[in-house]
Amino acid sequence: MIKNYFKNTWEGLYTILIGMKITWKHLFVPSVTLQYPEERAKLPERARNRLFLNYNDCIGCMQCAAACPVNCIEIETVKGIPTDMPDPTSKGQKKALWVTKFDIDEGKCCFCQLCVAPCPTEAIYMTDIYEYSEFDRDNLVYNFASLTKEEVQQKQDNFDKFQAEKEAQKLEAAKAKAEADAKKAAEEKAKLEVKPSNDEKKED
Amino acid sequence: MQNYLIEIFGSEIVAYILATVPVLAFIVLFVLFAVWLERKVSAHMQDRLGPMRVGWHGVLQTLADFLKLLQKEDIIATANDKALFNIAPYVVFVTTLATFTMLPFTSIFIGSNADVGIFFVLAFSGAVVAGILMAGWASNNKYSLYGSLRSAAQIVSYEIPTALVVLTMIMLYGTMSLGEITIAQTSHFWNWGIFGGPELGLAKILLVPFMFVAFIILFISTLAESNRTPFDLPESESELVAGFNTEYSGIKFSMFFLSEFANMFLIGSILVIFFFGGYNSPFGYLGNLLGIEWLIPIEQLLWFLGKGMFFVFVDMWLRWTLPRVRVDQLMTICWKYLIPYAFFNLLIVGLILLI
Amino acid sequence: MSIYDLIFYLFATLTIVSALMVVSSDNIVRSAFYLLATFFGVSGIYVLLGADFVAVTQIMVYIGGILILLLFGVMLTSNITNVEIKKGTAKILPAVIGIGILLGAVVSVMTRTKWKIHLTEIPQTTSFELGKLLITDYVLVFELLGILLLIALIGAASMARREQE
Repeated sequence: MIKNYFKNTWEGLYTILIGMKITWKHLFVPSVTLQYPEERAKLPERARNRLFLNYNDCIGCMQCAAACPVNCIEIETVKGIPTDMPDPTSKGQKKALWVTKFDIDEGKCCFCQLCVAPCPTEAIYMTDIYEYSEFDRDNLVYNFASLTKEEVQQKQDNFDKFQAEKEAQKLEAAKAKAEADAKKAAEEKAKLEVKPSNDEKKED
Repeated sequence: MQNYLIEIFGSEIVAYILATVPVLAFIVLFVLFAVWLERKVSAHMQDRLGPMRVGWHGVLQTLADFLKLLQKEDIIATANDKALFNIAPYVVFVTTLATFTMLPFTSIFIGSNADVGIFFVLAFSGAVVAGILMAGWASNNKYSLYGSLRSAAQIVSYEIPTALVVLTMIMLYGTMSLGEITIAQTSHFWNWGIFGGPELGLAKILLVPFMFVAFIILFISTLAESNRTPFDLPESESELVAGFNTEYSGIKFSMFFLSEFANMFLIGSILVIFFFGGYNSPFGYLGNLLGIEWLIPIEQLLWFLGKGMFFVFVDMWLRWTLPRVRVDQLMTICWKYLIPYAFFNLLIVGLILLI
Repeated sequence: MSIYDLIFYLFATLTIVSALMVVSSDNIVRSAFYLLATFFGVSGIYVLLGADFVAVTQIMVYIGGILILLLFGVMLTSNITNVEIKKGTAKILPAVIGIGILLGAVVSVMTRTKWKIHLTEIPQTTSFELGKLLITDYVLVFELLGILLLIALIGAASMARREQE
């Protein structure tokens, strides 16, 4: 009983000293704190952060937009016309489309990186930028397309014009074809019929 | 110091009032420093950095916090007992400040070298309880009331081992005046209380282990009286929000804060005066060596503050070492361990002194 | 009037006013806190009389001990604020007679006693003399008081103890 009492006292004091030894050691352990704006944690090699699009490499295939599970990528394209084709990508792949709109809503992005894999030109990828908070939610929508409105309009007009011309050409071709066909048919008819009837038809 | 002031102003009262100004300034400066130290020590013990922004390694952080506290709204709830609620912080602070009058900071600056010295300190640290109960009750808040009752019970219980050890030390020095106790330990560090006091001989050698026991008991019981971890039940944040100062804000809260930290220094300095020679230097003075008279008090002040700060640091060190005790453990430590040890220590020291 | 007289009147007023407030206050806890001021004022008067040890004992025992006990008692009772305290005068005539007799007695004692107007010498330290007297002249009283307190302590402990089953 009395032995136990002294043992308790001794153990109480002794264990406090052990604890104090541990805290004393920790007093000199280098701190784990990072002084954030000055120091930053080193990101892992394949960290997923803000998306970036290398616009010059984008061919407008829309595979990223299709892959995105949250639909945060919006793409609009206009076909190029032979006289005004976009420059090829840095690796020499030919582009057939003007990318007139390439918006990524980073507020929606879930950092799944599914859009990166399907890109045939490796134009879209994850950067290591993670500080991009904004006061306005609309500012989180990043416009990567570098064409101005006028340019877009011009491309659209070009294309429409080209399309119209093409259409016209097609129409003409069709007309020509039709005429040619008609001619042919007439000729054949004429072959079958007598010649005077040809004059009658011209009067019509 | 006082005599000098009396000569200048021609009035004892004015002189005494003016003599409290340095003490008050010291408390405020000490608290500004101690709060910073507390935060740094706790941070580094947990492998963090603590405040780093305001000033070098955050030294001015407390000043900034203090300025913020001063600007805060002084909230008084409708159901508070307004008069008592307003008085309580000042009662607590004034009683704490009163104990500082007895501390010999240097050989020339001591608020009052009254013969009741340590008895006065004990009495006023007991009177703090009245202020704490006042605060707890006037807040009209269950947590505050619980906190203040716990605080009162704790301080009242732990006054007994404190008083027993203080009695032991009074027997050793033969005086209650803190100034004279310090003077008794002059000249060499083996004259210090922890090494058995000033008188040489067989008794001195026999006394050393008992002085050590006395020191441990006094340290634990004064730690409990200042409501610090591991005895911080009155403030236990996890259960009682903030104990008796839950309802307080702004300047009144800072009054409680000031008195808590002032109490930390007070218990440190009581330990220093009883066991570690007060303001006495263990190695002699530089002022004596160079023959500069006025350097000696400054050195003494530095020694006193340095020793006091060391015990404040040990308080902080213990805070991050030990978890909070339960109420029953608190009472067990006091009544079943500290009081019997203190009592037998008193008896044995008395017997040794009779030899 | 010297500044010490002024301080004396300050303490005296504090004592009397707060003592009156103890009696007349509606709220028990308030009364208890007014008692704090009363005790403090009395201890101030002790200091002015040169009885430093007694003054500090006053603070230690009355404020640090008795008042705290009182407050605990008051705070742990239920319905502190709802309790109706009788403080009106029940019977004026007997009260006036009683107080009159008491006042007469006190005044007559005050006028008949030969007061020491000039203190021969204020002893600088009262605690040394007090201690000496306690173990020489008044040792029996001192020991008896000690035993009385010990008995009270043991009695309290045995009353508070739970019966072992």
